[in-house]
Amino acid sequence: MRPFWRSKADDYTIIAGCGRLGANLANRLSEEGLGVIIIDLTADAFRKLSPSYSGLTLVGDATYINVLCEAGIERASAVVTVTNYDNTNILVAQIAKKMFGIEHVIARLYDPEREFVYRDFKIDTISPAVLSMKEIDKLMHPNEPSKEEVRQ
Amino acid sequence: MKSRIFIIGGFNKTKFLAHSLIKKGYSVTAINDDNDKCIALAEIDRLEVFHGDGSKPFVLEDAGIQGADMAIALSDKDADNLVICELSKKRFKVKRTVAMISDPKKIDFFYSMGIDSVVCSVTTIASYIEQQAFMDEITTLIPIGENNIKVSQVHILDGAPAVGKKLKDLNLPKEVIVGCVQRGDRSLIPRGDTRVLAGDVLVLISSDDHETVAVLELTGR
Repeated sequence: MRPFWRSKADDYTIIAGCGRLGANLANRLSEEGLGVIIIDLTADAFRKLSPSYSGLTLVGDATYINVLCEAGIERASAVVTVTNYDNTNILVAQIAKKMFGIEHVIARLYDPEREFVYRDFKIDTISPAVLSMKEIDKLMHPNEPSKEEVRQ
Repeated sequence: MKSRIFIIGGFNKTKFLAHSLIKKGYSVTAINDDNDKCIALAEIDRLEVFHGDGSKPFVLEDAGIQGADMAIALSDKDADNLVICELSKKRFKVKRTVAMISDPKKIDFFYSMGIDSVVCSVTTIASYIEQQAFMDEITTLIPIGENNIKVSQVHILDGAPAVGKKLKDLNLPKEVIVGCVQRGDRSLIPRGDTRVLAGDVLVLISSDDHETVAVLELTGR
C-alpha cells in the first residue's frame, strides 16, 4: 500500500483506535518506515500490533486535546480515526481539521447517515457498510459495470 | 405556540431541568437511550419522553426535533454532545443548541463548530466547590465576561476589621466598587460615609485580581 500523503518528507500519522483496522494500518505504515503513533483507551489493545511494529503507542482518550497534543498532533501530516464509536471519530476528526488544520483527515463511520456532518469540513470518510455493499454488488454482477462506473 | 425544547441524554440533570422548564411553560421532550431511565423520566408530568440514541439522525427526526427552538445535549460523552448539536443545528434547523462538555480545553473548539452555548461541567462544579469550601463568607454571584469581572457577596462577621469603619476610610483598591449594602431586610446604596456594621452583606463589583485584596481588607481573611 502506498499512502497518498507519502510524498512529504516528515510523514507522521496519528491513528486513533487500535482495533483490527487501526492496528493493521499502523503495522503497514510502520513497515514502510513511516512515522506513526497509535492511540487507544487501553494498553491491551496494542497486542494487535505486530511484534515488528516500530511506531509509537499512547494510552489515552483521543477526544482530549492534551492527549492529542502529547501525540504530537501539531506536526502530524495525517490523522486517521478508526475507533468503534462514530461520534468519537467525528469529534477527533473535527478537532484535527478545525483546531490543528491537519491536511489529511480520514474517519471511519459505521452509520453513513452521519456523513453529512463532514461534508463542509473536507474530512474523508469511509463507511464499511457502503464499501461492503459495493463489493457484494460487484460479486453478484461480475459482468456489469458498477453504478459508479456507469455514472462516470 | 409554546417554545419546544429537547433535552438529549443525561438523567439527573435532565430531570431537574425538565421540571423547571415545564414549570416555566415550555414544551419539553427528553431523549434517552436507556430504557429504565426513560421510564423514570416518564413519571414527570407533561414531559414527553423518547427512547433512542440521540446522536442518530433518525431518532431525532422521529422525536420531532425539526425546527425546534432549543436542543440541550447532556450526555457524559463530549463526542456525543457535539454530534447531537451539529445534527440538530445543521440537519434539523434547531434555533439554539447547548452542549455540556467535560474537557475544558474543548470549549473554544465547540463554539467554533457553531454550538451556541457550551457549559463545562467540570470547571463550573470545581470552581463552585472551591468557593463553598474555602470562602465561607464570600459567594460569587455572577462572573462576567472572561472571568475578569465578578459580582460577589461578602458577609461581614462580628470582629472583622471593617466593622464600625466608614467606607471612605477603608483601604479598598480603586478597582473595587461596593455596589450595595444589605442590612437586615433593607438594602442601602452606600456612600463614602456609610458605616459597615457586623452582619452586613456587601455586594462587591471587582476584577478578579483585586477581589482577594478587598476581601482581606473587609474581613481580615
